[in-house]
Amino acid sequence: MTLALQYRRLVLRRTVLFAALVLALIVSLLLDLAAGPANLDLAHIIAGLWQPESMELRYRIILFDVRLPDALIALAVGAALGLAGIETQTVLNNPLASPFTLGVSSFAALGASIAIVFAPSFPWLDDTFLLPLCALSFALASGLVVLFFSQAMGGSRENVVLFGIALFFLGEALTAAMQYIGSAEAVQDIVFWNIGNLTKAGWPEVAIVTTCFLVILPFSLRHVWVLTLLRAGEAHAGSLGLNLNRVRFWVILRVSILAAFAVCFVGVIGFVGLIGPHVARLLLGEDHRLLVPGSALCAALILSLASVLSKTLLPGVIIPVGILTALIGVPLFILLIINQKRTH
Amino acid sequence: MLQIQGINVHYGRRQRLFDVTLPVLEDGDILGLLGPNAAGKSTLMKALSGTHAYQGNILYKGKAQGQYGPSAWAKDVAYMPQSPPQESALLPFELLWSAARALKLALTDAELRALIESLLNRLGLAEVALAPMHSLSGGKRQLVGLALALIRNPRLLLLDEPTSALDLHWRMVVLDWVRERIDHQGGIAIAALHDLDLAARYCNKLALLDRGRLVAAGPTEAVLTADVLARVFNVDVHVEKGILGHPLVQVLRPQLAPKSSLTALTSPSCSIK
Repeated sequence: MTLALQYRRLVLRRTVLFAALVLALIVSLLLDLAAGPANLDLAHIIAGLWQPESMELRYRIILFDVRLPDALIALAVGAALGLAGIETQTVLNNPLASPFTLGVSSFAALGASIAIVFAPSFPWLDDTFLLPLCALSFALASGLVVLFFSQAMGGSRENVVLFGIALFFLGEALTAAMQYIGSAEAVQDIVFWNIGNLTKAGWPEVAIVTTCFLVILPFSLRHVWVLTLLRAGEAHAGSLGLNLNRVRFWVILRVSILAAFAVCFVGVIGFVGLIGPHVARLLLGEDHRLLVPGSALCAALILSLASVLSKTLLPGVIIPVGILTALIGVPLFILLIINQKRTH
Repeated sequence: MLQIQGINVHYGRRQRLFDVTLPVLEDGDILGLLGPNAAGKSTLMKALSGTHAYQGNILYKGKAQGQYGPSAWAKDVAYMPQSPPQESALLPFELLWSAARALKLALTDAELRALIESLLNRLGLAEVALAPMHSLSGGKRQLVGLALALIRNPRLLLLDEPTSALDLHWRMVVLDWVRERIDHQGGIAIAALHDLDLAARYCNKLALLDRGRLVAAGPTEAVLTADVLARVFNVDVHVEKGILGHPLVQVLRPQLAPKSSLTALTSPSCSIK
């Protein structure tokens, strides 16, 4: 068999795996829709999705106003964090990097804390949007600050990581200060927001996060060749005449936007943006044509499965999904590290 | 034709290259860039490749490097960095594929597949073409780096220590191929080398750098003299004509006395310009 034919077979095998992941995501979405205290089984759900008018009104409300937005926001947030994760890891050449490396999560938490503690009121803004807007603004600001200072210092990946870490700790310290001056109720709200919870979202939030992901994805896909080349190291990618600083600039900008929109409605959901790309890399390899969408797919699948677990582990209780992603993510991450050590 | 004149390079406030001018290189020339560690060989390579800023003139085919633009320059000029491609799960085949597509080479998928296959076969990489980079030895990865440089069929080859991780057999294979390619297809190659015998065997011109300054440059026989080598490398050497007709350098012993200052080296027996 010729080398070219072997390569084509490899690409085909990976494409089949990608399709299997899509299928798994659909199954997980249906399971997520079926999970919950109301007596709605899978057959009911599928029939209701196909013909909504065939459902009783109360079930229709549960399915379309509660469960569907929750299930879809899991996919949208997971996909956004997965996409941001793979781009961060590749462009920073660091398997431990995640979208939150830029300090986005801690500044989102700071923004949310300020909204909770001070609860300012604006006549032109609905109060329900104050908290996500604050979280979004602060998260975006942290990403842009990292981008600005790292570019001003030459744009190296080391500078991005160092500024990101500095901002992360600054955000943590200021959030702690907000908790210190806030009331007991405010502190409780801040802690709860920080855990990450999918049940806060409705259709507008689903639409916003999904639109953000869908707008940014094509720009990420335009960079797949360069991102793949970066896996050979910056010296070799740069030897092809590519302006790596410019690539890094656009990637960090995209990551900041994706991560900020992902966390502003549902809080900080850790590990998904870190683990999703690793699982995708294991299944689909390093070719970013499949790895970029594959990472989004894997992270969406992980968050969707975590959402199912959060509703089914304790009957009648919805565990905040951020707790589960960390509980599942840590052992999974250790397994991945052990596996990588073995293969190396 | 390649002209390299008055190159100065700074890393921050520290100057690493001082007014380096190399002999004019014509089609068919292979220039060996020699010098001890930290002589500035890799720095000069980076400047030539366009990946590091410099002051001075680099004229290729009568046009300044800056007039080409990074992507046009990279299509005609291949630079192979000193370090091999890093360890990752990336496969050599998909690395070359991505490079060709990032460079926007006008090749159909079938043509590109055939090109990559022939390149990998020529460099003895066919068996590992679909193996992750982290499973490859340093030597194999260095060959992948060479394949990456050659994917664009360049006219100017800049090879920064291309054989440092290779065994004797593959050193010869790689440099034989470079020589053969330059002889038959034309073009120019500049190779930074540590091995003086390989430089003598494969390069028709040499440039010797030390601490960022050009010490000697010219035809191989004129540069590889016992006096020049002793002063730059701080070793006693004996140079004679080998059985293949090129100079053969025998290192006798390291010199105990400290290195003489560069001012004593500005008038070697060969021509600098």
